[in-house]
Amino acid sequence: MSAWRIKLALTIWCSASALGATESAGTLFRDTVQPIFKQHCLGCHGESEPFGKLDLRSREGLLEGGSRGPAIIPGNAGVSLLYRALEHSGELKMPPTGRLPEEAVAAVGEWIDGGAPFPAASDGADYDWGAFDEEDLWAVRPVRKIEDPGGIDAFLGSRLAEAELIPAPRADRRTLIRRATIDLTGLPPTPEEVEAFVADPDDDRAAFGRVVDRLLASPRYGERWGRHWLDVTRYADTAGFSNDYERPNAWRYRDYVIRSFNSDKPYDRFVLEQIAGDELFPGDPEAILATGFLRMGPWEHTGMSVAAVTRQQWLDDVTHSTATAFLGLTLACAKCHDHKFDPVPTRDYYRVQAAFATTAFAKRPLPFLPEEDASGFAAGKKRIERLVAQLERKREGYAEISRRHLMEKFGVSRIEDVPAVSRKQDAGLTDEQMWARRIVNKHLSHHAESIKRYDPLAFSVTSGLVEEWNDIGPGGAGSYMKKPDYESVEMHVLVGGSIESPGERVAPGVLSAIERYGGLPAPRLPETTSGRRSALAKWIADSRNPLTARVMVNRIWQYHFGRGLAENANNFGRMGAKPTHPALLDWLAVRFVEEGWSVKSLHRIIMASDAYQRTGDIPDGAAERDPGNSLLSYFTPRRVEAEVLRDSLLAVAGELSLSMGGPGTYPQISRDAAEQPRFTQGGLRPPYYEEGRRRDRNRRSVYSFQQRSLIDPMIEVLNGASADLSCERRDSTTVPTQAFALLNGELSHDLALAFANRLQTETDRVVDRGFELAYGRSPSGEERALAERHLKEMTAYHHRRPPAPRREREPLVRALPSQLSGETFHFTEDLPPWDYEENLHASQVPPETRALADLALVLFNSNEFAYVY
Amino acid sequence: MSTEHTLMRTRREFLYRSGLGLGSVALSALLGKAAPLSPRKPHHPAKARSCIFLLMEGGPSHIDTFDPKPKLDDLHMTEFAKQRTKFAAAMNTGKRHYVKSPFEFRRAGELGIEINARFPHFAGVVDDICFYRGLQAESVNHPTALFHLNTGNRFGGDPGVGSWVSYGLGTENENLPAFVVLPDVAYPQGGAANWSNGFLPAHYQGTPLRANGAPVLDMEPPASVTREQQRKNLDLLASLNAIHRQRHPDHDELEARIESYELAFRMQAEMPGVVDLASEPDSTLELYGVGDPNPEVDAIAKRCLLARRMVESGVRFVQVIVGGWDSHDYIESAHGTRITAIDKPMAGLMKDLKRTGLLDETLVVWAGEFGRTPDNGLRGGDKAWGRDHNAKAMPLWLAGGGAPRGRIVGATDEVGDAAVEVVHPIKDFHVTLLHLLGLDDAKLTYFAQGRNKQLSQTGGELIRPLVA
Repeated sequence: MSAWRIKLALTIWCSASALGATESAGTLFRDTVQPIFKQHCLGCHGESEPFGKLDLRSREGLLEGGSRGPAIIPGNAGVSLLYRALEHSGELKMPPTGRLPEEAVAAVGEWIDGGAPFPAASDGADYDWGAFDEEDLWAVRPVRKIEDPGGIDAFLGSRLAEAELIPAPRADRRTLIRRATIDLTGLPPTPEEVEAFVADPDDDRAAFGRVVDRLLASPRYGERWGRHWLDVTRYADTAGFSNDYERPNAWRYRDYVIRSFNSDKPYDRFVLEQIAGDELFPGDPEAILATGFLRMGPWEHTGMSVAAVTRQQWLDDVTHSTATAFLGLTLACAKCHDHKFDPVPTRDYYRVQAAFATTAFAKRPLPFLPEEDASGFAAGKKRIERLVAQLERKREGYAEISRRHLMEKFGVSRIEDVPAVSRKQDAGLTDEQMWARRIVNKHLSHHAESIKRYDPLAFSVTSGLVEEWNDIGPGGAGSYMKKPDYESVEMHVLVGGSIESPGERVAPGVLSAIERYGGLPAPRLPETTSGRRSALAKWIADSRNPLTARVMVNRIWQYHFGRGLAENANNFGRMGAKPTHPALLDWLAVRFVEEGWSVKSLHRIIMASDAYQRTGDIPDGAAERDPGNSLLSYFTPRRVEAEVLRDSLLAVAGELSLSMGGPGTYPQISRDAAEQPRFTQGGLRPPYYEEGRRRDRNRRSVYSFQQRSLIDPMIEVLNGASADLSCERRDSTTVPTQAFALLNGELSHDLALAFANRLQTETDRVVDRGFELAYGRSPSGEERALAERHLKEMTAYHHRRPPAPRREREPLVRALPSQLSGETFHFTEDLPPWDYEENLHASQVPPETRALADLALVLFNSNEFAYVY
Repeated sequence: MSTEHTLMRTRREFLYRSGLGLGSVALSALLGKAAPLSPRKPHHPAKARSCIFLLMEGGPSHIDTFDPKPKLDDLHMTEFAKQRTKFAAAMNTGKRHYVKSPFEFRRAGELGIEINARFPHFAGVVDDICFYRGLQAESVNHPTALFHLNTGNRFGGDPGVGSWVSYGLGTENENLPAFVVLPDVAYPQGGAANWSNGFLPAHYQGTPLRANGAPVLDMEPPASVTREQQRKNLDLLASLNAIHRQRHPDHDELEARIESYELAFRMQAEMPGVVDLASEPDSTLELYGVGDPNPEVDAIAKRCLLARRMVESGVRFVQVIVGGWDSHDYIESAHGTRITAIDKPMAGLMKDLKRTGLLDETLVVWAGEFGRTPDNGLRGGDKAWGRDHNAKAMPLWLAGGGAPRGRIVGATDEVGDAAVEVVHPIKDFHVTLLHLLGLDDAKLTYFAQGRNKQLSQTGGELIRPLVA
């Protein structure tokens, strides 16, 4: 057995920390025996009518046994029927498909010998609340009200003093305004803004405070900070997986988030709206849009999926994502077994899940708000209609071939005279034409979804099914639940997380640990169809909930400083890093609530601190005594995020379009990526068509259409957020393919040329102005000399080398293997039926402008442009 | 110009000009710390140092490739008897009939392993192959099954197998990506999530080499930009970055970014040589079928040959994706042409690896995301025999470093409906694949989403018979 134990310890679920631990039979059950049952037994012995009347889902079922008598005699594997059947030592041999591996049989034996405990999930009384170390429970303990020692810097100061570190001095005004502007708006400051701040005669603090106020009032603020929240909630405009159909009204949730940050919506209200806005504030359209949050995960239901499994997939997703976003807890582990690291019994997981069990997807009629600029919708709709018309003409072409073929075959002159049963769509088509027709149909099915983005509908939910709002998306094989199902739904603990083995029934509820350790009484959640989510939401948004304010305060801190006071913003459990300054975190959480959950107030408090305003120079001793800068003795410089970089390129080049909101737009992306054919179920998805008008394709990245199966490669390579997993913090890994994107990408070259053109149009001092726009400062003498020499050399070069002509846009010819014959077929994707406003091209400008574009490209690629100090 | 600046500049030019010869001067050496891609010791000694994964997208039929079911000849067009569970997908419900394989099977090699007779070239290498018939998937939905096989997680978002392997072993050549994907012209269902780095750092992301055009996205500048122009721009970039670096001497990340431009351009210099097949002798091209009059054979042959060249150049994990196996109808023509398209290239790859000695240290895997059913809903009528998706049985073979030769492991039932011997889930296959590469799934972990994640998700079991 000991060999088994070692192996077990190495391979069991989830964990390094279980290494070497002495396993009790209970743990053995949870980690090994139960999964064995799940994988090999419950298919037959777990259903409502178990084979041989033996039900392996509960200890009672095992003790009672089936038609052959009790399955186990606790404490004695040798005489237990179950063990003997697994051992294949008697007449009964299980599983019928073949003997299980030795280790598995041994584990079951050991478990029975150990008394066959069944500590699941199902029985809360067994849960060992005492198993947690006090220090690991910090996040679920009540937030402490701490006397103000003098603000953020006092909290930090005492730790710095202990480490004998003298913090870096205050940064100069140029550095500060660039830092604050990128931080709050995601764009670099204009030279005019920089100069105004530098020239402000007021004292540094007051002048900087005004800059912060100005930035917080800018609509760009919500676009920037909304994006942070969209990272957490995994915003996307499509559903993912094979078809990756558009979620045509999801954009209204994205705009809701941006508006919420711009209007400084109290965070508790923001929480309530996203979890239960439809129930709590049914008259407030914003609250309806907010519930899009609950549906942000990837999801697909096709003829190949099992309806109940798809539904469970969503329930697991929403349970997990709600806890992650608002409570900073990863609940997924508790789906299959009691959470090993955090005080979350599996029962709690399913209790929280039960709060969503009556929730149905809904596309609700909801007129556009005055804030939602619908002025371009008619034109947008028209464009899709033209695409559809183009495809329908093609489809009609194939139909015509079929009709002619059939009329000829039947010797008739009217298609109506062909027997209806013979009027097959593919009649008379070659394999290639059949494929083309399928692809055309697939494209049309995508456009049929996309065009709904202009409909006044909300991507939302209801409590209980409202049939006319039912929204399970295209490709779904009908509704998977009927109206009465939502009203009579019962939630069970799913043994081993498997829908095939429902265990004990649970009522909707909240995480018990919060009442036990945190003092916030657990509310009774109603078991009615409606009201479950409201009660859960109120419990989360309660100022006494120890997690909610702490988690949000920590996120905000993290976006300002590059890392949180607790380093894992999505994980306040034992496996997340402990806060470096727990008292400060609590003090901020209390302030946050006292300020009416105002996020903007929190920005002001944080940005007014000395800690935020330090230089990036590392003070003496800091590298040795605080290598990670967790004491914040200096400002940690960091690379800007992918979207900030793209938006900054556009802004500096003078090409950024600041129109806000509306359905996702299609920016210029790598043409190779745009033209890449992509399979979908039974065909090809429509090509990626850039917006025809420059002002449409040059909008801020937050408005880019977020297609799960095609992320803008430039955003992706610069560590963009995954749309499938909640992103707590962007990576800033440096890889060579980033250099490819920024130095070779067509967008960089086009924008460099636009930048050059802008400079020449605006000024004679092109080098200085270029540095001011890109860096917010003038070049040094050395830099100016280098740049001017470069211009001279490159001008001479460009005089020698006339540019290659523009690469024209052409229809795409696809050559792909057919599923029917396996042979290659060809299919032509037409150019979109609208004008394309070209970017400025090198062939249109003189050598001097091309040389200046070379300089601009270098500035775009430089470290100073990509880093914020 | 400052002295430091001059020194830096000299060094960068030295590096740049030395190009290939300096492949060993890695980022790590320049920065004096371990780079994420530098070669690492395996957890245990293993023969395989790299892996070529031939992914057959769409769900190839085991019944019509490597797992003959003569019983189906008797049952052909009789009603399928087995009861489906209440969790069956809509696709697999309704009235269904057994469908025999339209293909002839023939014994091959010294061991007489029976395979579809339409694999004349592959028949010549079966003695080096280990066929596995016990694997089971969990989903009959293409993208979820593909994500499962490729990342361990049916719902996507996790790192690809190749990412895990690169994370575990690093790469032998930092001028090339550690994990290369050679997709068809069209991306598979689920797209790039099939080779994502997931929560692992971006270094471990699969780099797809495109079938047409520049092999790596944006590896070449727009057509109008010359090498000379790019050089001059790079020089200015280096100068400006050096001045900036002087103002921020403590900030190592800046140096890493400067060096990433160097690395990019070493890659730009080396990649065309690796992907250029012109240097291969005609006999090798012929071995794979490069230049074959059948364009499908030619296209797959090029990718198989490229896979060998990649492995030879130090790439750790190469995934070749060959789609088109989703034969719901007309299985004879649909599977028949796919088989013909892949037969010579994959046999050529095996022969080439063997004669160059690379087979000993290269693990070759051939698998689809699931298998196909012995029965069919006959949606195309009884002339259009096809097969639907089957997660309970699937074809897979492996060969090379550490895998058994000429062996059949496991078995499916007499009609090929489900695996019944040496039955294992995908996660066990992942554990085994890592094991053959010297990696222990339980030790190859990365902290993400609140726990130490691993390829198998929650641990798995080694499939012993697949290890020589």
